[in-house]
Amino acid sequence: MPARHPPSREGCTIHACFHCLTDQFWAQAFDGLTVGAIYALIALGYTLVYGVLRLINFAHSEVFMVGVFASLFAAHALGIHTGDPAKTGFALVFAIVVMMLAAMAASGLTAVVMERVAYRPLRRRKSPRLAALITAIGISLFLQEIFALRYGRDLLPFPRVMEKHQVVNFHGADIRTDKLLILVSALILMVALERFVAKSRLGRGIRATAQSPETAALMGVNIERVVVLTFLLGGLLAGAAGALHGLFYEGAQFNIGFVPGIAAFTAAVLGGIGNIRGALLGGLVLGLVENFGGVLFGGQWHAVFAFVILVVVLLFRPTGLMGESLGSSRA
Amino acid sequence: MLRISSRTLRILGLLSASALVLAGCGKSSSSSSAAAGGGATTTYKLAFVGPLTGPYAALGLNIKQGAEVAADDANNAGGKIKIQVVPFDTQGSGAQATTLKDNFINDNGFLGAVGPTFSGETKAILKDFETAHMPMISASATATDIPSTVPGGKSFHRLVPDDSIQGTGVADYVTKKLKAKNVFYINDKSDYGKGLADDTKKVLEAANVHTSGTDQVTPGERNYLQAVNNVKAATPKPDIVFYGGYYSDAGNLAKQLKDGGAPGVFMSGDGSLDQGLIDSAGANGADGALITCACKLATPEAGGALGAFATKYKAKFNKNAGTYSTEGYDAATILIKGIKAGNTTRQKLLDYTNSLGTYTGIGKTIEFEANGNIKAGDVYVYEVKSGKLTELGTVASLTS
Repeated sequence: MPARHPPSREGCTIHACFHCLTDQFWAQAFDGLTVGAIYALIALGYTLVYGVLRLINFAHSEVFMVGVFASLFAAHALGIHTGDPAKTGFALVFAIVVMMLAAMAASGLTAVVMERVAYRPLRRRKSPRLAALITAIGISLFLQEIFALRYGRDLLPFPRVMEKHQVVNFHGADIRTDKLLILVSALILMVALERFVAKSRLGRGIRATAQSPETAALMGVNIERVVVLTFLLGGLLAGAAGALHGLFYEGAQFNIGFVPGIAAFTAAVLGGIGNIRGALLGGLVLGLVENFGGVLFGGQWHAVFAFVILVVVLLFRPTGLMGESLGSSRA
Repeated sequence: MLRISSRTLRILGLLSASALVLAGCGKSSSSSSAAAGGGATTTYKLAFVGPLTGPYAALGLNIKQGAEVAADDANNAGGKIKIQVVPFDTQGSGAQATTLKDNFINDNGFLGAVGPTFSGETKAILKDFETAHMPMISASATATDIPSTVPGGKSFHRLVPDDSIQGTGVADYVTKKLKAKNVFYINDKSDYGKGLADDTKKVLEAANVHTSGTDQVTPGERNYLQAVNNVKAATPKPDIVFYGGYYSDAGNLAKQLKDGGAPGVFMSGDGSLDQGLIDSAGANGADGALITCACKLATPEAGGALGAFATKYKAKFNKNAGTYSTEGYDAATILIKGIKAGNTTRQKLLDYTNSLGTYTGIGKTIEFEANGNIKAGDVYVYEVKSGKLTELGTVASLTS
């Protein structure tokens, strides 16, 4: 009987399974990057809002959840139902584009309305940041319960929109069409956002406000508009992440945002909150670290290992891996 | 403008707050000891004890709703005695059950109980049933050691065989029917899931089935790719991937294993026997998955009393009868028949239940042992076939 099987991981003793890591390096790395790309897309929403308002929008995970539901409803509207054969060719591209756009629109709208209803009244009254934090938790619960009451607490089945073909097997890594879709579209969106903030006039407004709201206002930047734009951008990306998550994991549930939301927040802090490239790096690193940690020590350490890395990174680089704020990056 | 809008907001807030209070008042149920205006009918109450909210809600609801169909059947049959099933939501926790128990133990209007659902909560309040001489029939508590928590006790009854009997059944099926040599075990870290996977592993290793590897996943987290890669890398190649956990995560894991091209037949236990498994796996994602359960799943196609029950259940709740719904119906019906036969005190109903003899339920033939365990040790095997849970038969019939 071959001796090489993962050791049993019972009780409190921790066995590090190094040959597991070397055996599965490419498989875990590719899957880690795929999941990390989704984390990074959500993390950008946390980072943008923090950069401009110094506020952690804890309801951002629900903006993402709205995106997941919107992509499901878009699929239904296109006549794609559970049990239908997966789409191919032009119909597939069309379905994915419609689902993405619907999710982005719904999430973007949710984020903007959230800003208008939950955060702006507090900002007008110059209330302390803690109040905004409580509002964030409140709106998060509100959205979750609305969806739970309307659509039930059980997982809604999601149709299979795209066939999960293996493109190539790279040293055990299962390189599949759906994973490639996630990686490629996430990268395109992230580069687009980075270019937008760095080059466009509105992006300059965002950076100016992040550096110093007062000075920016004196220079004629419309702060309110910048804030709305920031929420909108974060919402659009979270919506795209929601559609990709829906296509990949095929499920929608009222609490679906919780786990990726926490992970994305961690990714944002890991990369340096307020930093766009940091969010990207943080997401990908977190996806990798989770998988490598999990395969080394067993699946129960999946999340633990990620947080250990976070603590270690923050010990040496308190502002995260990339460690700049949105304003000072690339003036 | 701002003043007006903030005042409007305040008024709205007040209104919604008072609406909530009113709604709360409206919900408080009036306990009925005698039906008003219904002539000389008397209403007796049965307590349903189990989770109705929280992560295990689905299981509790299945049993409660099964019991409610039983009460409907009894009430529609006419007669002077009416039955009401009153639910007590434990959220599956022993601590919560302990807090709630006084509400039905101290109310003599409650003659018996369907439940508790889980072994932990059963152990937590079994003593109280005993001192109150109140019969309880659990549809689903399977821990082997429950009868020994109150030695010589009379209150405890259950309609499913205990874990050790179920374990032997699973081992028989795996070794004799599937002829599996290597198994990979995954669990969801919960008491139930880890217990199930570990017990199965112990039983199968004793039957010389080799363990290819073990892993754990986090329930509710949808990313199980790491476990998939682990299964794919395991040597020797597993013939079976056994999962200890609940249906929602099980469906997700089964799908990701299939999409990832992982080897082995997906197999799980009673916690996964739910339509939710197929919902979360997608149409054909869980096809071929095998689930063992000591419970008899009711489907409208089953025909006979079981099929009739499934049809009534579907009509009443707009949902298919699930895991342990059948047992919930049978548990309630045993108690209801006792009450209708004139056993209208707790002690009398307890004596009736203990001297039940052989009773033909809609799911299976029921006979209690002296300690409350069920005599028949049938374990059923279900397979997901083109997106439907299909019963293959009992382990005994499949391996003979």
